[in-house]
Amino acid sequence: MDEHENSISYKTYLLTWFWLLVLTGLALGLGYAPINERLKALLLVCTTLAKILVIAAIFMHLRYERINLILITLAPLILAVILFSFTFPETLGNATHLIRVR
Amino acid sequence: MESSLAGEQQRILASDWGGGKSPFGTSWSKFMMWIFIISDALTFAAFLIGYGFMRSISPEWPKQTQVFNMVLITFMTFILISSSAVMAMAVGAARARNPKLAFQFLVLTIVGGLIFLGCQAFEWSHLIEEGARLTHNPWGVPQFAASFFVITGFHGFHVFSGVTILAIVAIRAAMGKYSGDQVENAGLYWHFVDVVWVFVFAFFYLL
Repeated sequence: MDEHENSISYKTYLLTWFWLLVLTGLALGLGYAPINERLKALLLVCTTLAKILVIAAIFMHLRYERINLILITLAPLILAVILFSFTFPETLGNATHLIRVR
Repeated sequence: MESSLAGEQQRILASDWGGGKSPFGTSWSKFMMWIFIISDALTFAAFLIGYGFMRSISPEWPKQTQVFNMVLITFMTFILISSSAVMAMAVGAARARNPKLAFQFLVLTIVGGLIFLGCQAFEWSHLIEEGARLTHNPWGVPQFAASFFVITGFHGFHVFSGVTILAIVAIRAAMGKYSGDQVENAGLYWHFVDVVWVFVFAFFYLL
């Protein structure tokens, strides 16, 4: 990757910073938008994934790494989806018995 | 059959995985940093999924905009994203063998981290003054403040560690005792801290 590193200009970093701020503004707008909660959650997940992809690809230089390294960085996301899908069904229906409210 | 097996063995031995080469094409220190980041990401994933689980089973959840100062949270996000961009420039300067510029960018990144920590200390002290504790809070279910303190506290500790690491790298850069790899590894950690905040900002403060 070393041969690529010097080729990333400061202008690219500034443009990336700008787009990250735009995506942050978008996420903030979604947070306040009077829309369906599920749709809001879906759109926030999409915005967040777009932001982390930009940070990983450009700031962390992952786009210049070998595919082997890129693939292992996906492990936390894949395992998080598995963990979520194993635990979330427990919350469906009337699940308030699982929590004590003071 | 045997010849195809031998051919397959030859193909594997000639590949990156046959030994004598680095399949990941990175220095050992950078690869170890990536392994650390992946394991740390799993910790935060568990925190956020635990938070989602608790929130889903809670009969009600406080409206974040009524509890938190969203202007402050947005400012903190702006600071962390900006410091991440400056950190990327520090890595670029270090790779271009410009230690003076790398040092200046590193100092700016540290300042960003310190501002973020100051804002977090302000937010914590404000909420504690209002009665928020790990076990209870004035806004509803106890899990609300517990999730807040655990997730933002763990993230804040990562920011503090990052500032410490960056300070060490900056001092070494000022002394001329640095390598591009060292600055890049510190940078990878700092960007990871930024990535975690992106998740916390979206799922804890906005959703």
